[in-house]
Amino acid sequence: MGDLLAPANTLEVLLGNEAVARGALEAGLNVAAAYPGTPSTEIGEALAKVAKLVGIYFEWSANEKVATEVAMGAAWSGLKALTMMKHVGFNVASDAIFTLAYAGVTGAMVIVSADDPHAHSSQNEQDNRHYSESVGLPMLEPSNPQEAKDLTKEAFELSSKYKIPVMVRTTTRISHQRGPVRLGEITAGFSKGKFVPPEPDRYLQVGAIARKHHAELLGKLKEISLDVAPSYAKVEGASDAEFGVITSGVAYAHAKEALKLVNVNAKILKLGMTFPLPEKDIGEFLSSVNTVLIVEELDPYLEMRVKAIAKDYAPEVEVLGKLTGHMPRVGEYTMRTVLEGLSKALGVVLPVNFAEIDSRSSEILKKVPPRPPILCPACPHRSTGYALRRAAGRAAFMGDIGCYALLFQKPFRVEHVTHAMGSSIGLANGIDVATDQDVVALIGDSTFFHAGIPALINAVHNKRKMTVVIMDNRITAMTGHQPHPGTEVNAVGDEAPAIDIEKIVRSIGIDYVKVVDPYDHAATEKVIRDALKHDGVSVVITKRECALLTVARLRRQGQKIVPYRVNPDKCTYCRVCINTFACPAFVDTGSLVEIDPTVCFGCGACVPVCPYGAFEPQEGSLNWREQKIGV
Amino acid sequence: MSVREFNVIVAGVGGQGILFTTNVMARAALKLGLNFAQSEVHGLSQRYGSIRTELRIGSDVSSPLVLEGTLDLLIALEPLEGLRQAPYISERTTVVMNNHVIPPVGAYLERFPIPSFDEILELMRSLNPKQIMVLNAYDIAKRAGDYIVANTVMLGAAQATGVLPFPEGVLREALEEVSPSRYRDLNLRAFDLGRESVSPPR
Repeated sequence: MGDLLAPANTLEVLLGNEAVARGALEAGLNVAAAYPGTPSTEIGEALAKVAKLVGIYFEWSANEKVATEVAMGAAWSGLKALTMMKHVGFNVASDAIFTLAYAGVTGAMVIVSADDPHAHSSQNEQDNRHYSESVGLPMLEPSNPQEAKDLTKEAFELSSKYKIPVMVRTTTRISHQRGPVRLGEITAGFSKGKFVPPEPDRYLQVGAIARKHHAELLGKLKEISLDVAPSYAKVEGASDAEFGVITSGVAYAHAKEALKLVNVNAKILKLGMTFPLPEKDIGEFLSSVNTVLIVEELDPYLEMRVKAIAKDYAPEVEVLGKLTGHMPRVGEYTMRTVLEGLSKALGVVLPVNFAEIDSRSSEILKKVPPRPPILCPACPHRSTGYALRRAAGRAAFMGDIGCYALLFQKPFRVEHVTHAMGSSIGLANGIDVATDQDVVALIGDSTFFHAGIPALINAVHNKRKMTVVIMDNRITAMTGHQPHPGTEVNAVGDEAPAIDIEKIVRSIGIDYVKVVDPYDHAATEKVIRDALKHDGVSVVITKRECALLTVARLRRQGQKIVPYRVNPDKCTYCRVCINTFACPAFVDTGSLVEIDPTVCFGCGACVPVCPYGAFEPQEGSLNWREQKIGV
Repeated sequence: MSVREFNVIVAGVGGQGILFTTNVMARAALKLGLNFAQSEVHGLSQRYGSIRTELRIGSDVSSPLVLEGTLDLLIALEPLEGLRQAPYISERTTVVMNNHVIPPVGAYLERFPIPSFDEILELMRSLNPKQIMVLNAYDIAKRAGDYIVANTVMLGAAQATGVLPFPEGVLREALEEVSPSRYRDLNLRAFDLGRESVSPPR
């Protein structure tokens, strides 16, 4: 991690997300709240780490809507507030944000949306530029870590000036790009504000009042499009060029280098504000060229709007992009994407022979086995998946968002669905109404707090029959171990009341509730079998902390991690362990199964899996289940 | 100091310390005042799947992603993951490769044949890289004190090939700065042993 508190005027290596956090600190941030989600998470992690030192308030909220409302409360009390989320998190928060645009703010508020082209760690490739237009909030788009810092700071200034929340949109390759960042002065700190609506009806969005505020919002946007957007429109390159590129964000970085690699006389219009658009500047740029290539990831957002502007300013200009098939619509962009687009558009000779590279490497890649993400060694979810497969193999499995989604893979196949936060239980409601199948909903602890509770309440009230397996690994694991309402500490490391999942579940009238250590495979299997027989909603809580936390703690305590081994005299090479448990530490030598000591965490969860008892501890190996490590 | 363009990929399996290794090089670039752009993948992709980070150093660099065929240095913490970078490897590439194969368990379930290290090396050679350095990084790391610093061993070896645009002292200092205090000495030992494994100790 870069030093977020490095002094002003120094250069520091910052991750794009850290740069956003630093920008907020330089802008005078007071309050920030978020729910973790890749690729936005490290903004919150950075703020959590420095919150006490700087004196700001930061929390990991139960979900993105709550986080937004926390920030809104602060921004309505005259403070500077920040919330950030991944693209799909914006969907959760959007109910509050649409109306917030009408209400505006008295302090300042910035909303960061981190979009994920290529869906590296997401369920879709959503383009949140549409949100900014449809909500009616200005949007700034940085193209490198330096701009991520600078534009975040400027977003606060704009928000303050126009009394409107401002969005900053990043994409994965900005969020997770590290680069040198020249720092400014930190002015952040906490101070008390006062909640006083600027007019009596400012925050009362009903009927006539809402209509009045809607008109006001449109007025502000008009002003911003004329007064602010042009200052974020930068033209680079040969002024006499007849070929132009319009771009924004990380796509600009690719386009800039790609144009340098091919010998084309070209100019670039780089847009730092993608809503509202600087119509006149775009129009003038279009009038100065014959052909323009739109280089943007995800949807043809700019392309369609540029076409509309061209109609008024330069009807003859040729606008090329995704809609004309010159650029791809799916996946993230690279320099190659842009080079291939240029080649299609202008017939230029490419500096790299991609055809040769592809033919040479494709033969090799055919021989490299795929390595999709899998559950870590010692992961408690593997054990839950193992028990579920044995106890409920024929059920309809509703999965959710979290590491456990990986249980869709062989050999477990106990996730038929991964949809949206909390959808597992919600969908189980519908599947139970519609079928006679056994329905199992799998959900993690953080996701349960985020959006699982209302769906579970719905199931009880509507007398559904389903088994809900709450895989409580005591942390928000997939995004890198952020606390949630069920943990004993909060975002900044203070003790916090841990909300007891078992008590919540019992309190809403569910009488079949069992808590089990998933490493106890036999007990977990039995409890799931019983739960399936229960008439009504049954809940099984498989409780064991994320193995990465356990390992980190053991190492901190100076405990050696000693791997297990396979006794070659006992291994019959039946491969039951691989075919049913598939720990990444297993190595198939062709005549035996072995354990890779560089991968094994020494948990001992594999011991009961082998029918011949071939898995054995070595001198110093622990047994996490028997020694109650991690529960 | 100025560098026209230097492209590095660090590839391996989630959990091998790929981000850390790359961060050390980025820190070294910063210390020398070089412009750079680094890209990494977080989140679900970390979970023992294929991981790679890309680091581009150079005054004209703006894209954080390496263009196919233009890689200068590949640090392969795991050989299969090294081979997976085939489209990036060319005559200009130096390959520093750990010899410890971590077979993807999914390959067993799909009955996908897993090439041996010798086969991987043969395939790597067929790409005609400038040079290939092979290390038993886990053994060397164990000699340094713990196999978890195999990544730092690889970094030391990469430095010893002489292709990195940093003087050795700068990279070592960067390592010292980026290391958590608990691992600092261990990392420095691993770095030195990695270096010696390529150039014989004087």
